[in-house]
Amino acid sequence: MIAIFFRNLARDLVRQPLRTILTLSGVVWGTFSVVLLIALGESVGASQKKSFHGMGAGIVLLFPSRTTLPYQGFKSGKPVRITPEQAEDLMEKVPGIETLSPEFVWSRRIRYGKQEFMNTVRGVNPSFERIRNTIPAKGRFINPMDMAERRRVCFIGDVLATDLFGRDDPIGKQVLIEGLPFTVVGVMAKKEQNSNYNGQRDENCAFIPWTTFAALYGAKYVSNIILRPLDSGRSAAVTQDVKGHFSKLAGFDPKDPDAIFVWDTLEFEKQFSVFFAAFNVFLGAIGALTLLVGGVGVASIMMVVVEERTREIGIKLAVGARRRTILVQFFSETLMIMIIGGAVGFALAAGVIKLIQGIPSEEFAEFFGEPRLSALVVASTGLILLAIGAVSGYIPARNAASTNPIEALRK
Amino acid sequence: MSKAETIIELRGIKKVYQMGGHALEALSGVSLEIGRGEFVSVMGPSGSGKSTLMNIIGCLDTPTSGEYYLEGKNVAGLTFDQLSSIRNQKLGFVFQNFNLLTYATAWENVEVPLLFNGKNARRRRQRITELLEAVGLLDWKEHRPSELSGGEQQRIALARALANDPPILLADEPTGNLDSKSGEDIMGLLGGLWKEGRTIVMVTHDDRIAAHSERTIRLFDGQVA
Repeated sequence: MIAIFFRNLARDLVRQPLRTILTLSGVVWGTFSVVLLIALGESVGASQKKSFHGMGAGIVLLFPSRTTLPYQGFKSGKPVRITPEQAEDLMEKVPGIETLSPEFVWSRRIRYGKQEFMNTVRGVNPSFERIRNTIPAKGRFINPMDMAERRRVCFIGDVLATDLFGRDDPIGKQVLIEGLPFTVVGVMAKKEQNSNYNGQRDENCAFIPWTTFAALYGAKYVSNIILRPLDSGRSAAVTQDVKGHFSKLAGFDPKDPDAIFVWDTLEFEKQFSVFFAAFNVFLGAIGALTLLVGGVGVASIMMVVVEERTREIGIKLAVGARRRTILVQFFSETLMIMIIGGAVGFALAAGVIKLIQGIPSEEFAEFFGEPRLSALVVASTGLILLAIGAVSGYIPARNAASTNPIEALRK
Repeated sequence: MSKAETIIELRGIKKVYQMGGHALEALSGVSLEIGRGEFVSVMGPSGSGKSTLMNIIGCLDTPTSGEYYLEGKNVAGLTFDQLSSIRNQKLGFVFQNFNLLTYATAWENVEVPLLFNGKNARRRRQRITELLEAVGLLDWKEHRPSELSGGEQQRIALARALANDPPILLADEPTGNLDSKSGEDIMGLLGGLWKEGRTIVMVTHDDRIAAHSERTIRLFDGQVA
């Protein structure tokens, strides 16, 4: 029975080869578009998120700024000053913080041999490594001993390392920062970073202990604080507590919204995720519309097919076919066209995705990430195909099944 | 004529078509009985309701009112799909224009009613071989209708009508599109089937063809004349 069904189906499809190919091409193209759009949407989202995490995953940045409300006799506009000691003290005073680092950020001349650059120097503590993903490719990051002894050591970004040392190994070498020698203890592993604040990206920076920074340059107040909450869901509450704590120390109205400027990357990431989800739905919808055009093509061709085969339907009804049998016959014929077209479209899209993965350009990979036929892509395309196939198959099939055998046989 | 048992009984069958606001009565109260094993021809001028009557007897159409007993069971109120299995198993159709599936081979055409009856592949093969042999066309089993003569096509159609061994054969002008030689062949086959005990109801306008039957029912203006 099933063998006969497929034999008849194959015959129906082969009977009008050009028409079958044209009908199929609509479905093929639609499927191809859906798969590619969803796959690219997904990979762009993933790569942007990964790149965003290059600055650090789940972190909050606090920038002491100026008051915007008068407070305790001071007019608004008073600078908010926080020392690195006060910042590190937060670990004791405010619950819910996993780790944090104060940060001094200044531009300094950095020199090795004849190479000299004006780059960003960041005074930080050892926690910075984990918060900001400054993972050493060679050597190590700043450690607690460096902090305690105010050692003149530095950890440098990979691009800065290449600029200064070329192919030489920087570890153990001395660089001059504003004329003072620092020993290079580590070089950062290459990372993708699409967000930043205060100064250059990490790949161009030199990182030194903030204790050394304060002692050498006389810096007293932090440029910013970076912290990671224990529970990423409570970042807003922790931030509020930190502001409350600082309002007493630095003397500003706890209700002052901008005395400390906050960049909560967790909040940002939530919006970012929502945006990309919406973006994917949008791309999926465009693909689905393209596929819908293919589906309309299939439906209209099937209407013609039903019309042409009225006599056949009449004969079958006369010799004992139920209307349901006829309905199933035409419905499954449409579905088969959708499945065949879908499979071809899938195969083409898979081929193109393979090609994209083979593109050697790093800029391309940074933006588009690695598109692939994920479960999400397969499942959503399959669902769209099925839904459109069901609609475009049902209408002609219902027409076929409601054929009046008496009139059909008279033709 | 021995009427041991009534196989088809119509009582007050009416069929009214609504055509653009006014009603057209195709059958206005037809009552008749056909016994099992009878060979009946239906005659009448065009517009007399022959086709409508055959469609109702053939369960392709349902009457507006009246009762239709087929093997003692009233089928007048059944739905189209309920009538499908009756058409499939109790009735065999032979049409004036053969109504074969043009893209399918002789073998596949005979197979269609067997498929709707859910017969398995082995039994289908056996039955189709039997039937094509009976109409003398087993060697033509792979041919399509377009490769066969009119007489041969009608013999394939007859084989298809007999597929599920129905007790009743309905023939609508079975020789209408055939030359006289082929027509005689078909009538010979029908005669043989009648002698085997099958009930045959045949519509014709040809007196010589009607002469093959035992009894002629004449219709006029939607009534038995």
